Amino acid sequence: MADQQTEPAEFSEEAIGHLDALYRGALRLTRDPDRAQDLVQDTYARALRYQHSYQAGTNMKAWLFAIMRNLYWDRFQKANREAVSIDDIGEFALYDQMRDDLGEGPETEVLDRIARSEVVDAVEKLNPLHREVVLLVDVEGFAYKDAAKILEVPIGTVMSRLHRARQQLQKDLFDYAVESGIVGGGLNSRS
Amino acid sequence: MYDCENCVRRLDQLVDKELSGPEVEEVHLHLGACGDCTRRYRFQEGLKRLIRVSGSERAPDALRERLREQLKA
Repeated sequence: MADQQTEPAEFSEEAIGHLDALYRGALRLTRDPDRAQDLVQDTYARALRYQHSYQAGTNMKAWLFAIMRNLYWDRFQKANREAVSIDDIGEFALYDQMRDDLGEGPETEVLDRIARSEVVDAVEKLNPLHREVVLLVDVEGFAYKDAAKILEVPIGTVMSRLHRARQQLQKDLFDYAVESGIVGGGLNSRS
Repeated sequence: MYDCENCVRRLDQLVDKELSGPEVEEVHLHLGACGDCTRRYRFQEGLKRLIRVSGSERAPDALRERLREQLKA
């Protein structure tokens, strides 16, 4: 019993340690700094209220993200939850589109020329179901099984959403790269 | 024998470090022999890294202070 519970001070300290990650996540989810702060604050309030249900030694970051994610859907997406559908854009690989522009140089060189703010915009433009999985796996580095627990979906769903999210991201980044002249559109330009 | 199609299908899991040891070995066996898949793999890895480092905002100090108070209570 005693070793299952965390001392309140320890709990607080560990929880605060995940603040930057939660805030970043809240920013991506809400796309608004004020709403993000509110969401984070409410997440900690709920975590505090339910701290007895947290087991010491388990993944607190995942636990906090699960709380935040549920609050987010309750608050901002409740009305949309049913309506959010995932469009299938088909297979789109930025690499294929850029292959001709990549030439013989390092294949990641073109990525270095993409502005970071543009990547953030592209992530924020994703539909919420795609955005949250990119946030968990790519930004925060959660394993598929942890992401699946947080999102309450099977691992296969995590994988398929992640794949589609990345396709969408690549498509948006490609459009940006063409518009800003980073690439010429390649020989096999989009139809 | 492992072909490009098989390899490409596993690239997501490879960059996410979600393949088992033997599976990683299999993919790398193919990568070692296929320049195109190797470049595709590095590109996907680079993209994942780019996504990770792009949003690196830190929480505002005022929020941190508020939360410390809240958690103390």
